[in-house]
Amino acid sequence: MSDKPGGSVRILLRSAVLVAAAVAVPFYLEGFWLQAGLFAMSAAVGAIGINLLTGATGQLSMGHAFFLAAGAYSYVYFASDPGPGLAGLGLPTPVAAVLAVLTAGVAGGVFSPIAGRLKGAYLGIATLALIFLGQHLLFNAGPVTGGYNGRPVPPMELFGFAFADSPALVVAQVPFGALERLWFLGLAALVCAALFARGVLTGRPGRAMNTIRDHEIAAGVMGVPVARYRAGVFVLSSMYGGLAGVLLALVFQRTVPEYFGILLSLDYLAMIVIGGLGSVAGAVIGAVFISLLPQLLTRYSDALPLVAEPGSGGVSPAEAARILYGAAVVVIVLFLPGGLLGLAGRLRPSPNRRIASASTAEKASLRPSPETRN
Amino acid sequence: MSDTYQPDGMAGSPPRLEVRDVTVRFAGLTALDAIGFTVEPGSVHAVIGPNGAGKSTCFNVLSGVYRATAGSVRFGEAELTALAPHRIAALGVARTFQNIALSPRLSVRDNLMLGRHRLTRAGFVAAGLRLPSARREARLHGERVNEIAAFVGLAGRLATPVGLLPYGVQKRVELARALCMEPRLLLLDEPVAGMNGGERREMAELVVAVRESLGISILLVEHDMGMVMRLADTVTVLDFGRRIAGGPPAEVQDDPEVIRAYLGAASGSGEAAP
Ligand SMILES: Nc1ncnc2c1ncn2[C@@H]1O[C@H](COP(=O)(O)OP(=O)(O)OP(=O)(O)O)[C@@H](O)[C@H]1O
Ligand SMILES: [Mg+2]
Repeated sequence: MSDKPGGSVRILLRSAVLVAAAVAVPFYLEGFWLQAGLFAMSAAVGAIGINLLTGATGQLSMGHAFFLAAGAYSYVYFASDPGPGLAGLGLPTPVAAVLAVLTAGVAGGVFSPIAGRLKGAYLGIATLALIFLGQHLLFNAGPVTGGYNGRPVPPMELFGFAFADSPALVVAQVPFGALERLWFLGLAALVCAALFARGVLTGRPGRAMNTIRDHEIAAGVMGVPVARYRAGVFVLSSMYGGLAGVLLALVFQRTVPEYFGILLSLDYLAMIVIGGLGSVAGAVIGAVFISLLPQLLTRYSDALPLVAEPGSGGVSPAEAARILYGAAVVVIVLFLPGGLLGLAGRLRPSPNRRIASASTAEKASLRPSPETRN
Repeated sequence: MSDTYQPDGMAGSPPRLEVRDVTVRFAGLTALDAIGFTVEPGSVHAVIGPNGAGKSTCFNVLSGVYRATAGSVRFGEAELTALAPHRIAALGVARTFQNIALSPRLSVRDNLMLGRHRLTRAGFVAAGLRLPSARREARLHGERVNEIAAFVGLAGRLATPVGLLPYGVQKRVELARALCMEPRLLLLDEPVAGMNGGERREMAELVVAVRESLGISILLVEHDMGMVMRLADTVTVLDFGRRIAGGPPAEVQDDPEVIRAYLGAASGSGEAAP
């Protein structure tokens, strides 16, 4: 909106440095960390979506995992060729990806009359039903979902370039397999998703959403159609969930039904609480934190005192991660209402924190604008 | 819609507001009992009465927050009792709240820009993609917000989160947000409640300035009787949900029923003004 010239240059520079660093990553990191990073990117897209709904609009959702599943499974369905016992449309993969995001949006749209009418925690309870519905469908709609075993995910192919291990590709003496290639796809998706959400949040819809969260009655009285906005944000956040699901499927290369359960929804809520409610940066920080913590613990479990090797009894890295971020959620709710993002803001004194001195109101008069006549 | 965005000083006169036999009941309690009054175009109409008289309930009916059990509210051609709050807002009815209803974490500018919601169009796609139409709209309406902020004396505070401002300033932000809707009817629910003498005077001057420069109708709920007597053209007095008097301020002031209602209430609470 109000671009301060100096500020926007700095933001541009900072973004350029970040993007350059992110582009360089596949040349230096091993597969394990690339995969962890890709999961974090997918999670960040999904977390931005739920932060639009829960953080910015105050509508709790326990059903986010359902929309990730909708995205992941519809991508597989649209992109796969029909096989023995499995249905598929065999569409070009980019088309399948777009359709998958739209499908998640439609699923959100079907639920949106409810999402528009229920507020806050009530919506949270209603969306639990989506999780149960989702799990039931994933396990029982075998021809589409592959049932208990899930389905293999066809790799994305954009203009003849496959995001897969073959054909082999070497860039600057680094072999570029599926993970290296997907890194750029994930990065592009995340950057687009983040910019779009930022535009929404800083623009007219964002102000309406924040006011619905802070004071629903005031929002209505100021002209915001509250139910329609709630429904709209719900659809938008389902589409973000769908995109996160597509990315996840591409990275994982197989859909796993039990992954899309209530724990995944809770992970997403934890991400936005830990990162910072209501902002894009908060969602990304929280997603990185929650996605990388279990990986870090797995990787360094032998060096950590209480964490055991997976399968050897004792606290597994995944369990340890859950305990750790459970504790983090409690600490943040109690002491850091702004999340990690708020903490970062507090450590760095911001220049516009200082309250402007009282401007003595010179007795101006206000001229009516044409809108007064409508 | 903002193509002809130029203050032209030619606001047509706002429609008349006619409240007829409005009754509001909450489980067992009749908050408003068949009350009626008319706000003439361009006038300042005060609604007064002791605590719990039903003044805010009346505002909530006018702005669509509460449904009337019976009765009608006509604003020009429109019947307001049948409309949702955002539809009433679209007709140019703006209000402030007795208890501040701003977004504390948003800046003053964003709170005021919310007032432009009904006059702007950018939806999710236009805002998300930062389409030129959305940016142009934001710039044009941002300029008007600057004007209104200057008028209300908030020019230096546009970037400050509302929650960090003192109470008296927040009350002014509420008024500015309502003005940003370019209303034809402005409902002010106790605009000077909780303010000190200087702030009260400034706010009263502001209401006078709004009326003089915009020519809109103002419906005012206020306990500060001095302010009511100075500003209002007409006064309606409520007590226990009933309209007990109405007319020019000087007449109402001497009405024995009104004096009784206020003295009765004053012995029970210190809030009611003498
Ligand atoms: N939502 C509600 N549910 C039940 N009772 C209500 C509700 N809103 C208002 N009331 C009751 O209606 C009556 C009128 O309240 P109202 O807020 O309109 O009074 P008021 O004239 O604005 O008083 P004050 O000067 O204290 O602001 C009170 O008895 C109040 O308790
Ligand atoms: Mg009141």
